[in-house]
Parts: sequence; structure tokens; C-alpha cells
Amino acid sequence: METIDLFGLRARFNESRILLCFNGPISRSLIEEIGNALKNYLQADNAQPSAAMDVFSVYVEMTQNIRHYAIAHDYDELQGSATVVVARDRDGRYLVQAGNMVENTDGDALLARVRQLADMDKIELKAAYKAQLRQPRDANASTGAGLELIDVARKSASPLSASLSQISDRHAFFSLRATI
Amino acid sequence: MTALHIPASQSTPSVTSSWEQGLLTMRGDSYPENSFEFFGDVIAWIERYLKESSAPLRLELHLVYMNTSSVKAMMDIFDILEDAHRGGRQVSVDWFYDPRNERVLDLADEFREDCSFPFQIAADG
Repeated sequence: METIDLFGLRARFNESRILLCFNGPISRSLIEEIGNALKNYLQADNAQPSAAMDVFSVYVEMTQNIRHYAIAHDYDELQGSATVVVARDRDGRYLVQAGNMVENTDGDALLARVRQLADMDKIELKAAYKAQLRQPRDANASTGAGLELIDVARKSASPLSASLSQISDRHAFFSLRATI
Repeated sequence: MTALHIPASQSTPSVTSSWEQGLLTMRGDSYPENSFEFFGDVIAWIERYLKESSAPLRLELHLVYMNTSSVKAMMDIFDILEDAHRGGRQVSVDWFYDPRNERVLDLADEFREDCSFPFQIAADG
């Protein structure tokens, strides 16, 4: 059996200043439990209450979005897995990154949407948020292009960034990053 | 049923109500996965109160963090209050926040922008 180099993994986590990470099937209660741990870490890390709330908020929107997407596409637990990382960069800012498997076509649309949001300033983002808030409920069903993404963009100090890695003919891994 | 009392959970706020005082209070964080399920009972209580009583209605909010689907549900509530206000009803919102966390003030303030009924935002004393 292949052994896992735990010490190497630890070194990798420390080197990347990873505060918290998760990889695997994610449930409603797990989102809450990890969120709770995240709140405690941020408090122990002496984060400003507003920054702590932004990090928590981005984490919740990203992970709930992954859940909604998986449910809407009838993914099984494994297909609906989430990969989540909260880290600090060299300037002490928080990085919140989350990724999941998506349909290829959705992946391209998501990337385009993230680029569109990354080009908007805070005022434009607020207008987009308010306009989306007024959309009928069905129009922003769990495509990931609704309110959640705009909210994450509004809380991110640097423009959102996203990437897509091909998994198969049908699927890709979509990864999104916000900075707080 | 004129009483609505929901204890707080990890991801949902506590809700208490007094039909006699025309008061609905919500306290805590709100980030349930399905906000419409949770807020459905709150909306039903408000609609029923506005229909069956002609006395004033006041919402007292001590909400801290809200996810986007809770924000959307809360906007539905404020739309109901706005309609009632335009129809001549006395409705108001008092939102209290912890002054150490300005995000809550931003959140409440953004709601207030779209409301013309009395909407006060005050730091918790």
C-alpha cells in the first residue's frame, strides 16, 4: 500500500500558510462545522471582526454554491466533492479558495462570468448585486451565476480569479479564489 | 396560530413574536442552505398579522451574518412592509448592530436604501 507522506504534507501546508483545508464530500452540517472551526481560527488569529466576517461569508457562499450545483446536477457524494482552502498570503491577507467538478459547458460560462465580475469596480458590483436581487427566483437557480458570485466578488479585495482544469470530455474542475 | 417562536440554531436566527405588541424579533446569524424554507414561517406570520390586525407592526432585528439567500428572503419581507406602508399601514424596522463590526451596518444600510418606511439602524448600547 502506498504510504502518504504526512510530514511532507504538513510542510506543504505550513509553507502555503494554510489555516484550514478540506477535500471530500460536503454536507449541510459539515459546512456549518467547518465554518465554526474557521470562525474560531480567525478569532485566534486576531482577525478584525469585519475581515473575519468577510472570510466566513465568502467561505459560506462558495461552499453552499458547490452544494447547490451538485444537487441541481444530481451528482453523487463523490462527484459533488468540494476542495476548500483558507490561507494567508505574504501580506497577511486571507485567501479563500474553493473548487468542485462542473460540466464543461458550465465551466466556460463560469470563467466568463468571473472575468466579467473581475473587471467591475465596487460601485458596478453593487449595482449588479442589487439588480440580481430583484431578479425572479427561478432566473438565478443554482447555476452559480447568481447572487453568490457577485457577493463573493464584492467582498474580495483583489479581483476574483478562477481556473478550469479538464477532468474528462464532460467534466472539469472549477476553482475560484477570493482575497480578503 | 398567532405565536411564532423559533429557537436559534447554528445557521438560523432565533425568532420571537408578540401579536399583542405587533412585534417580531430576530436575533443571530442566518445562513441556512434553504432560506426560503426557514423564512417561509416568518413571512406567513407577517402577512397574517398585516391582514388580521390593523395595529402597527415593528420588526426588531439583531441579525449579524446573512448569506445571500437570507438577504433575498429578507428583501421579500421588506417588500411586504413597503407595500403595507404605501397602503397606509404603520410599519417600522429597528436594526441593532455591534459597533465593532461595521459589516452589519453596511448590510442594514443597503436594505434601508430601498425602503421608505421608518427604518432605524442603531449601535447596540
